[in-house]
Amino acid sequence: MYLDENELRELIEESEDIHSDAMQKSGLLFDDFVDLGLEHRAHGEIDPDEGREFATAQGDALRHGLVGVGATAGIGAALLALSASAAGAATASDVQILQTNQSIENLAIATYTIALTLPFIGGASANGVVKAFAMTTLGQHKQHAAAFSSAIKRLGGKVQSQPDPVLLNVVDKAKPTLTSAAAVVALALELEDGAAQTYVATTGVLKNSNARQVTASIMGVEAQHVATLRAVQALLGAKDASLIALPPTPLTSLPAAAGSVGFPNAFYPTSGARPETEGAVR
Amino acid sequence: MKRTHKSNETIPVSEAEIVAMTSDLQDAHRDTLPALQSSIDAWTRSPSDDAERLSGFSRRSFLTRSGLLAAGGLLVASGGAAAASTIPRLAGPRSVRPAAFAAATAPLDVRVAALAASLENLAVSTYASALSAATAGKLGKVPNAVATFVKTAMAQHKDHAAAWNAVVSSGGYKPITAPNAAIAVTVNAAFAKVTDIAGVAKLALVLEDAAAATYLEAVGVLSGAQAIETAATIQPVEMQHAAILNFVLGQYPVPVAFATTAGAATLMDAPAVAKR
Repeated sequence: MYLDENELRELIEESEDIHSDAMQKSGLLFDDFVDLGLEHRAHGEIDPDEGREFATAQGDALRHGLVGVGATAGIGAALLALSASAAGAATASDVQILQTNQSIENLAIATYTIALTLPFIGGASANGVVKAFAMTTLGQHKQHAAAFSSAIKRLGGKVQSQPDPVLLNVVDKAKPTLTSAAAVVALALELEDGAAQTYVATTGVLKNSNARQVTASIMGVEAQHVATLRAVQALLGAKDASLIALPPTPLTSLPAAAGSVGFPNAFYPTSGARPETEGAVR
Repeated sequence: MKRTHKSNETIPVSEAEIVAMTSDLQDAHRDTLPALQSSIDAWTRSPSDDAERLSGFSRRSFLTRSGLLAAGGLLVASGGAAAASTIPRLAGPRSVRPAAFAAATAPLDVRVAALAASLENLAVSTYASALSAATAGKLGKVPNAVATFVKTAMAQHKDHAAAWNAVVSSGGYKPITAPNAAIAVTVNAAFAKVTDIAGVAKLALVLEDAAAATYLEAVGVLSGAQAIETAATIQPVEMQHAAILNFVLGQYPVPVAFATTAGAATLMDAPAVAKR
């Protein structure tokens, strides 16, 4: 039997490359899975027996030398399946909190949609920046609702399609009074602040890491809506609506209070947070 | 893999030798398996080890996921496309590298809180410098609203620093009173070039965005209730500061639907902590 030496070297090199790639991929896979498992188990959401069963199975596979490129792909599939199972094992309260969050977003969407039908918000007589704000904010709340919906589904929960029932009463009562931009801004401010406070409060309560991450990434944006609305409210109150512009011109005409009215608290309050199950699916 | 024949040399080899060499290769392959087994062992470890392991996970994430500052020595705004297009990147080599990373023995929450406190101190010192420059007439005419913003934001950052230092102290460590040395080099160099209020606002926006991004990252890695609450109640306020700065600069105040961790400081930027 004769072999070409160069060809053999190249085959060995290729084999080493394949081996190295496979080990690197499987190593990363295991690292990620270990992280995931630890994170979930730290919250009491993973079954140790399930982990041991998996470990035994993988140990057998290793002892039988099955970890190659194909085997690695198989492990990957198994890990993904198991991680999906672990992710679905979150507590019901996480789902309820997310449903409440989504109900708040649903109400915000409905409220901005109504506001944009009003001539002084979405019509010809509206301030350009206020109209742009209402439209952009509506779009952002739709994205937030979709994000909460996705987080709920990941936990195996039912998506909340209804608005927060308590806040809905607030909006319904306010509807007849929405005869000016200032009135709409005041209502929007109440909703946005309620949303921000709720998300700040629940960020520390949620156990599922994805649910917490989604909520945390939205809380600051609602706080920015609040800051903007506070500034607009102050300028409307001071009869300085012309300064509601980007940029406000001239900048020197802005009242001093406009520089601080948007963020009255050094720490975002949570006393006005909605109860965690207020908007949960019944 | 592209193969090229360099020669037509052949070597005689028996099938038995090929089998033996294949067996050697298999042995070498199996030598690498303990690392995999170790990962599995870690996964099946006693739950009592979770806190430590979780900290390791968190530390690694904090170091690798968010590392714009760490990787490139850059302080980058995370305020979205509109802001990013107009906000300068503060590039420059790091002349200061804190020892905290190398001697990372303090609990993760303490180290994150120390990093956060140093960022707050940096914000305070930067706003103080802006006030001094404005008082000295170096920034042109200062609108009242901007002066109010600077004073109010500075006071809130002092409160934030105190809150973060409460987390540091509760862990048995001395509070962090100095600005973040690693990032201050870049920020101070940028501030030296500021000649007007718009320049101050842009620099402040970079700092506020970086703080907000850092605290959002922190929410995902902190484990203590006090630390998580601190991050969760401060992050939205930094974003509010950013919103007003965007407004003053003529940029849309809420540029993105979701806050991100892009531009977050990392533990590599954290100051050293010392036991009390």
